[in-house]
Amino acid sequence: MKNYLPFLLITAMLTVSSCGSDKKDDADAFLSELDEGIDAPAISEETINDILMQIPAPIEISMLMKESGSAYDRTILSNPADVSKYNTTFKRAINLGIYGTDLIYTNIFNKNQEGLAYMKSVKELADDLNIGQFFNIRLIGRLATNNDNLDSIMLITTQNFNAINRYLQENKRANLSILFLVGGWMEAVHINCKMAIDNPEVTSLAERIGEQKIILENIMLLMSFYAETDPNIKELYEDMLQLKEAYGNIEITYTYAEPTTEIVDGVLMIKDNSSSTVHITLDNVKEIDRVIETIRTKLTS
Amino acid sequence: MKVLKYILLVIAFVFIQQETQAQCVPTESVKVCIPKLAGGFHFLKSYEINGRGGRLEKVEYSYPFAKGTMYMVNLCSADGGNQGLVVTLYDAARKQLATSVVNGQQLQAIVFNCQRTGIYYLTYTFDNSTSYCGGSALGFKR
Repeated sequence: MKNYLPFLLITAMLTVSSCGSDKKDDADAFLSELDEGIDAPAISEETINDILMQIPAPIEISMLMKESGSAYDRTILSNPADVSKYNTTFKRAINLGIYGTDLIYTNIFNKNQEGLAYMKSVKELADDLNIGQFFNIRLIGRLATNNDNLDSIMLITTQNFNAINRYLQENKRANLSILFLVGGWMEAVHINCKMAIDNPEVTSLAERIGEQKIILENIMLLMSFYAETDPNIKELYEDMLQLKEAYGNIEITYTYAEPTTEIVDGVLMIKDNSSSTVHITLDNVKEIDRVIETIRTKLTS
Repeated sequence: MKVLKYILLVIAFVFIQQETQAQCVPTESVKVCIPKLAGGFHFLKSYEINGRGGRLEKVEYSYPFAKGTMYMVNLCSADGGNQGLVVTLYDAARKQLATSVVNGQQLQAIVFNCQRTGIYYLTYTFDNSTSYCGGSALGFKR
């Protein structure tokens, strides 16, 4: 028996190491309660995660708005005080995305105090969804007192949102991740539409709206998987079919040419010689804006 | 008794293998990579690269790149620096656009000046890696 002592110890260690996952199991159990009895779609987790990765971060669209010279407009944002209205998992997840984009928008325009109001609402919704641990509101609040910390705030915010997505996907709650990302994406397009309508001479804003046709196709595909099993996503999917229709008038043309490269200070610089052109009119933008406004009003009511 | 000894040896082997895999902590490499994005690039996404001790040939991610935007993808290997890690960029049609190994030299980052909006694929592979482990950060600037 003495000879087997090391092996028995190893077995005991294995048992102990597997006990370490109890905390995760608790979290899984809690998140299962949030699941509200929704069945997983008949599609691989890998495929879902692949498509989720193809939804752009709102920071990119928001940055374009500032660089285009558009003025900050708080009236087009969702009201952070409405947070208490969102009392279902569906509403919380989608409005978490909406507030997240609004937060980034305020950050980019250096509206730190207004950003804090969004941060508080984001934290509240995240707490309700049991993902509040990703936000260090005190740290962000401290950084927000100084405009020089803008890059740090942006970095922390982006990292937090990435962490939330990863956590939801790892915990097999991709349906919440979809709502969070779709909410954030839709809010970014909504803000972009308003800016493009107010600044028709800045063609890059309308082009960026048109480019979202590629993203919308992926979002619709993703939502179609969940629409079969989740009545809330089904309703949203049906509403978004109108958005797909509005995007039907937009055309994107492509030309391909081999890229050229050079090495500069140990970094490979790739010059893209291909091109894409978005064919979109102001009327197209207004139609997209109208449809998004309708969907958004429903989501934030 | 021989059977019992064999079973225990298998358990020990599995345990050791799990421990070896657990040594890959891509989150640590990611933490190193994010601040290494060049000035002017805003952080967008971080990617964990775990080749599971060499059992995975590649780790792939995708992201929509927008026309008129520059994207930087850097590499941080658990081997140190960017050693052993390679990133290859493909367009939506899976046509290879560039790779971070040029004439045998492993580069620390690639910068793509995108002129064609679409989905792009970032494929991470290993070249003489000992850890098969690392991280990468994606940043953008206009």
